[in-house]
Amino acid sequence: MIESIDAYLNQLRKELAGSDRATIQDALSDAEEHLRTALDTDREAQAGVSEAEALPPIVEEYGSPEEVAAAYREIEVRLRPTLAQPRHADNRSLFARFFGVYADPRAWGALLYMLFSILTGTLYFSWVVTGLSFSLGVMVLIIGVPITVLFLLSVRGISLVEGRLVEALLGVRMPRRSAFSSKNLGWWERLKPLLLGKRTWLAIVYMLLQLPLGVLYFTVLVTLIALALSFIATPVLGPVLGLPIVYVGEARYYLPDWLTPLIALAGVVLMTATMHLAKFASRVHGKLAKALLVSD
Amino acid sequence: MDDISTVNKKFRKELSSGIVALVLLSVLDRAAEPMYGYQIAKLVGAGGAETPMVKQGALYPVLRSLERSGLLQSRVEPSVSGPPRRYYSVTESGRKTLGQWTEIWSETKTFVDSVLGGVTND
Repeated sequence: MIESIDAYLNQLRKELAGSDRATIQDALSDAEEHLRTALDTDREAQAGVSEAEALPPIVEEYGSPEEVAAAYREIEVRLRPTLAQPRHADNRSLFARFFGVYADPRAWGALLYMLFSILTGTLYFSWVVTGLSFSLGVMVLIIGVPITVLFLLSVRGISLVEGRLVEALLGVRMPRRSAFSSKNLGWWERLKPLLLGKRTWLAIVYMLLQLPLGVLYFTVLVTLIALALSFIATPVLGPVLGLPIVYVGEARYYLPDWLTPLIALAGVVLMTATMHLAKFASRVHGKLAKALLVSD
Repeated sequence: MDDISTVNKKFRKELSSGIVALVLLSVLDRAAEPMYGYQIAKLVGAGGAETPMVKQGALYPVLRSLERSGLLQSRVEPSVSGPPRRYYSVTESGRKTLGQWTEIWSETKTFVDSVLGGVTND
């Protein structure tokens, strides 16, 4: 017999074990929203009813944890992130698969995300470092506590926004809203998960990591893309415009004309390989984001 | 007896998977303003069927999947008491889809009715 909403949610979480973590979070917040609203409505209608008394008929209508979990699992199969590819075997030739990356929205999304990450990384890093040191600094004063709480809440908010970015550009499913705390707890009970929960601190770790990662992504990608483009341009720069490949003092070195198309070809291959690299790195980054920003 | 009820349950489930989406779209299309899950569930439940087609809890994942396909849109608003609520409303493409789905539904209904009617007449 389920006697409280928390017990229901715990059982639902158990039933959904093994599903996508974002699905679990969706299911839990839907259930909590519904059950609390239903309970409040019933209690308004007849005052003095306890949670344990009012809940069974509500749960009867809403469905048992098993039934609800089954419904989410069924939908999860049909619910794919925006850019996620259907999972069927890729039977194109190796050549088509290699160059097909230009038609892959995931690869372009990854490229965009990684070039942007130097910006978001800088912003996150500065915000966290400023917020943390300022919070610690004013901790001795009374206003230190609300400032710390505000800062930690902002971390939660930013990590949700980052989740939207990751989902849209990298195609990794992320939670759509933050878990809320139940209202019948005291203020300390509500603050405790914010201050002591691993969720906030993992998000801070993610935001700090985003700067070095963003610099790395940006540098590697820009270098590779610039190199590939200059390779591709050699047939025009050398034979057509007559520019030397290297200047050393007065000496100018030219490439034999027959070699330049080959170098251009190497440039095309390098460019394509860079797209694959971006796609691969974004998959790793998506896993990192999911591990640090989504917690049960 | 137990066997029959499982078979019935399974049949009900298979039938409901598309119908629930159609019903939710139409309920939200007729609503004057965005609605949240509990309101929608109450409205669908008020249809009066003895055994509801689906449990209320099974409506929510359908709402989310409809939003995913762009037929619904939603926004979260804090409520005076309790957790924030997600308000759903129909999008332009949802409205178009509803028109087409309604047509498909009435075709299906006519077809099934005529076949079932034919069976009883013989």
